[in-house]
Amino acid sequence: MKRISIDPITRLEGHGKIDIFLNEQGDVANAYLQIPELRGFEQFCVGRPVEDMPNLTARICGVCPEAHHMAATKALDAVFHVDPPPTAKKLRELFYSIFFVTDHTTHFYALGGPDFVVGPTAPKAQRNILGVIAKVGMDVAGKVLKMRRDGHELIKMMGGRPVHPNWGLPGGVSRGINEEQRKTIEQLGREAIEFARFSLKLFDDLVLKNTEYVKLITGDVYIHRTYNMGMVDENNCTNFYDGQIRVTSPSGKEHAKYHPSEYRQYVAERVEPWTYLKFPYLKKVGWKGFVDGEDSGVYKATPLSRCNAADGMATPLANAEYKRMYETLGGKPIHHTLATHWARLIEILYAAERWVELATDPQITGKDYRVLPTETPTEGVGCVEAPRGTLTHHYWTDSRGIVTKVNLIVGTTNNNAPISMSVKRAAEKLISKGRLSEGLLNMVEMAFRAYDPCFGCATHSLPGQMPLEVNIRGPQGQLLERLTQYI
Amino acid sequence: MAKTLVIGLGNPLVTDDSVGLRVAAAVRHILGDRPDVDVAEDYWGGLRLMERLIGYERAIIIDAIVTGAAPGTIHRLKPGDLPTQHSASAHDVNLPTALEFGRKAGAQLPQTEDILLVAVEAADILTFGQRCTVAVEAAIPAAVEVVLQELNRLTCGEQR
Repeated sequence: MKRISIDPITRLEGHGKIDIFLNEQGDVANAYLQIPELRGFEQFCVGRPVEDMPNLTARICGVCPEAHHMAATKALDAVFHVDPPPTAKKLRELFYSIFFVTDHTTHFYALGGPDFVVGPTAPKAQRNILGVIAKVGMDVAGKVLKMRRDGHELIKMMGGRPVHPNWGLPGGVSRGINEEQRKTIEQLGREAIEFARFSLKLFDDLVLKNTEYVKLITGDVYIHRTYNMGMVDENNCTNFYDGQIRVTSPSGKEHAKYHPSEYRQYVAERVEPWTYLKFPYLKKVGWKGFVDGEDSGVYKATPLSRCNAADGMATPLANAEYKRMYETLGGKPIHHTLATHWARLIEILYAAERWVELATDPQITGKDYRVLPTETPTEGVGCVEAPRGTLTHHYWTDSRGIVTKVNLIVGTTNNNAPISMSVKRAAEKLISKGRLSEGLLNMVEMAFRAYDPCFGCATHSLPGQMPLEVNIRGPQGQLLERLTQYI
Repeated sequence: MAKTLVIGLGNPLVTDDSVGLRVAAAVRHILGDRPDVDVAEDYWGGLRLMERLIGYERAIIIDAIVTGAAPGTIHRLKPGDLPTQHSASAHDVNLPTALEFGRKAGAQLPQTEDILLVAVEAADILTFGQRCTVAVEAAIPAAVEVVLQELNRLTCGEQR
């Protein structure tokens, strides 16, 4: 069997590597993810006060510390059996909406966008954020930089410090906002809405008006009919901060809707001998392997999945864009992986609108932003939508609040199985009889990148090796051909 | 505002990944309240690191690195020396790209030749732990010395 290794994935964090195994005929037999994972987090947490968890878990991920901080804070509410007052919940959701806009912006302009804006077959050296601004104009660089800076400044203002907030407490948050701060937040939120609309217009002009790109999105290289997961509010509209978890089937029917604390009744984790990664699947459907369809428990938890699992967006502009996406791509649900980029932009708009709604809520400057916990801590689950999928934290403590056990299902983990399937499918379509199609490397990466995955994400040490390497190996593992980029 | 930034990057909870933070903390202790130098810690490379550099004329970035050299080896690098399209961060672009992007966006950033990277070769960047491995821990004083030398060279306008 031949083996192709792509190591690591350009423009993707961590040090991911894809192994593609070819059979004797030179066609794709299998494709697997091989990625490093940080070790020993649970042992690290056991024995510490559970109140430390929002700060500790924020440091396990270099990509979305705010998401971990928020899931952990909500888990503390549950562990201490305390319900935060409305002002606290609104402040948390406001903070979280600002984070979402900032994070998704980075993905679209720096990671996912270059494939479309510059083009999937453009020279590699141009397919990055510089290529994007060269194509769409230098003023876009200023807009992106401003959006990121505004987001980071507000996160710092509300959360107490940049990147790693020290804000969430069981029963609420450590500080509120005053009227002057509220005004700033509102103003920047209105600008964020305009930025989101601008980004959607850009997607319209550069992607949707390009028939080649639309063909790529709706073609058969990037498609999987799986279940979809996302958090919804009482009207089944997407919510990032709180609600119930809804799962819909490949045909769009509701499969399950449950409180996050019931997750273990619905989600199980498959272990495979070739990797330490776990593959979550829907328990009630069952694990049938890396296959899609109604009978396979594989599900996705991505921006597109959240759209598929919901009935709409709770804000007017985002909801209009939501409807337009389904009208354009042939109805609901959408299974085209690359449409995830579009869904991500719709989520930026939703988060920006929600940001302004909350910033103009009369309760947002209230002083009642914390309830002191009085009950004995036990066990609790906290769940939010992270930008890259449903994020669940589950803690167990003794009666003194000392952590005895931790279980986390992070955003990307939900998507481990569909990512592998997407990579395999792209490889199958692009590799034939041992021949690598032109653009293979990037086309395979595109399957990966749509998920915005973060692997081994808490570490960020400077890598000292080339970013992309493909090794084609013969049946005995001998190196037949080596392709590299950026070396 | 100080004109020079010394910034340590890393995760304080991941063994050798924290070495940049430890070196920065030691440098801060030695420099005291020197008004022309800010000492900071952060987590991300790429765009976020570029954003941290805005407004400064010079910067020394301290980080862990994995090149295959002996653990504790100290590397002096320029942003363009990193043989990778990866950034020193997750979910991001690499530093040269981020710097170019920032300049195109009109940000006031140090010239590339006024940015130095002091990188300490790590042994373990995948295990949670609040201490560095022995060889990396032992390299911290030397790394601090390198940072102070480079700082002196940069701020005194000596030969570049």
